[in-house]
Amino acid sequence: MSETPLIELRDLTKHFTLSGDLLGRNRPLLRAVDGVSLSIKRGETLGLVGESGCGKSTLARTLIRLFQPTSGQMLFDGKDIAELDERELRPFRRRMQMIFQDPYASLNGRMTVRALIAEPLEIASIGTETSRRARVDELLDRVGLNPDHATRFPHEFSGGQRQRIGIARAIALNPELVICDEPISALDVSIQAQVVNMLEDLQAKLGLTYLFITHDLSMVRHISDRIGVMYLGKIVEIAPNDALYRAPAHPYTQALLASIPVADPEARRDATPMRGEIPTAIDIPSGCRFRTRCPFATDLCAAAEPPLTDLGGGHFAACHYADKVMTKEMQAA
Amino acid sequence: MTAPLLQVTDLRTSFFTSRGEVQAVRGVSFELRPGEILGIVGESGSGKSVTCMSMLGLLKSSGRVVGGKALFEGRDLLALDDRELRELGGNDIGMIFQDPMTSLNPTLTVGEQVIETILRHRNISRAAARQRAIELFELVRIPSAAKRLRSYPHEFSGGMRQRVMIAIALSCDPKLLIADEPTTALDVTIQRQILALLKELQSRLGMAVILITHDLGVIAETADRVLVMYGGMVMEEAPVKALFAWPSHPYTRGLLASIPDLRDDTHHRLTPIPGSPPDMRRPPAGCPFAPRCPHAMAQCLAALPPVYEVEPAHGARCWLHHAEAPRVAGINQQVAA
Repeated sequence: MSETPLIELRDLTKHFTLSGDLLGRNRPLLRAVDGVSLSIKRGETLGLVGESGCGKSTLARTLIRLFQPTSGQMLFDGKDIAELDERELRPFRRRMQMIFQDPYASLNGRMTVRALIAEPLEIASIGTETSRRARVDELLDRVGLNPDHATRFPHEFSGGQRQRIGIARAIALNPELVICDEPISALDVSIQAQVVNMLEDLQAKLGLTYLFITHDLSMVRHISDRIGVMYLGKIVEIAPNDALYRAPAHPYTQALLASIPVADPEARRDATPMRGEIPTAIDIPSGCRFRTRCPFATDLCAAAEPPLTDLGGGHFAACHYADKVMTKEMQAA
Repeated sequence: MTAPLLQVTDLRTSFFTSRGEVQAVRGVSFELRPGEILGIVGESGSGKSVTCMSMLGLLKSSGRVVGGKALFEGRDLLALDDRELRELGGNDIGMIFQDPMTSLNPTLTVGEQVIETILRHRNISRAAARQRAIELFELVRIPSAAKRLRSYPHEFSGGMRQRVMIAIALSCDPKLLIADEPTTALDVTIQRQILALLKELQSRLGMAVILITHDLGVIAETADRVLVMYGGMVMEEAPVKALFAWPSHPYTRGLLASIPDLRDDTHHRLTPIPGSPPDMRRPPAGCPFAPRCPHAMAQCLAALPPVYEVEPAHGARCWLHHAEAPRVAGINQQVAA
């Protein structure tokens, strides 16, 4: 039954020391990722949501070891890659790839599409010149581009097409994990759906596992199997997607969901907006890190940090009052 | 019926670039009544921002209004010179943008910037202007207003900077506030705060608002009336409830089908709009949406459709509303409930 998850993070932290004053004194510590434990099964899509500054992108960059983790374990297919050196990491790098928000910024404008997509194959010394050509043609087809697009340059493409090129590059080495960091945020609405459908098709055909990072709470529900909600460097709630949207058990998740503008004027909700803004990760509140904005906060919340607690059915929340929040028994003080 | 505050007729704007004329706005007409929130929705390149920039003389140097009228309380904005426009811009029309950081001077305190704006347009003392600035900060709900006047832009979060911009835009009691993607760069909880603030200010101060956005959710929750733009034109115009209840242009329907419905648990596949938007250097002769439209007919490629009134106050620029057009469920034929 218990298959090894493709990814398992155990109490992962990534802290940054900032520059401090002119003499380098009082260097503040930014706790971008502050103790995250989660796992992603093979073939699953885990959505990761949260406001800017919550640490979701740092988590992704740490996971592919663009950043060295500060502490904790990162198991890829059962093997801890947190401490591996560059040489030891090489076989793992091929197995995890990333798709970025702005495909234009991540594609070298002087390279043709063919060269861009062939580059990962060349770096990994895979195949011959001829077999790589065939592979590029196959990848172009996979992402819905024509073979005659291969000789063109990135600037000749629309945003949606450029994202397709980025995706073709990302899947060139047959990765197992693809981290999608806001892959559709820069695209127009009509194009977003094209890219999302394509990502779903690729997952079905290639058995990919996705970590899908976004601030778009409507799209993340559509694409994910499970969703984790991050706040100030920690997962405050993680659950199967329908459970999270139907019965959010953390007040922050409730507030996030209540903030989504719904495309139906008959459903206008003049709900009170959540107060305040996300504090900085330099100065994290004691106890529950959400308590400064929480309508239900009590003395207990300032005194003790709530652990991520199992609510059944794969639903976890880090709130002292999760049961009551979930059943909407909590009343704002 | 009250006289319109703003009446735009056949506005045309082009950018003259080294690679040719880009016809960004191709004959836009609409009216705005006092106190109304008009949403303009469209994707990048649809002409929604350029429409408003044209009226305020804020086009980039390669941009030029090539035709039309924009009557604001009877005065044609397009015929005013820079000085007159600046005056009007500061007094009767306020504007806020997506990224408040680029509109604020990073080397001055926000208080200086608000006070300066007030003094430029009002003949009052510096002390009175400072008092007015404090009132404005309180109006836009910036906590500890008097103290925050002494802060620099970088000391504010994105949401607070947008509040500062709103305070500056409101400093001379405008009759019209143009908000161009005011919440696009903000987190969803902060977006809700700013939208709630805009609606509250609009009803308290009785000003009209033009809200430009790509987000149909923001439109549904905020606007009274909506223009849907594509290819430099208004494709559909309707009161907000009518637009979502009976979207009558295939483009509007396509946009709605592209976004997931949060209330739908079935996770059915999204229906994207195929293809990409037209190149406005060579806009299509017919309907700009025809190349991507699932219902396109020969006529759509040949000639630009007129605006048909599908119900009172609800217009759609689509040949399917011609009396002899074939019936298409949902567009020109009611779907059985």
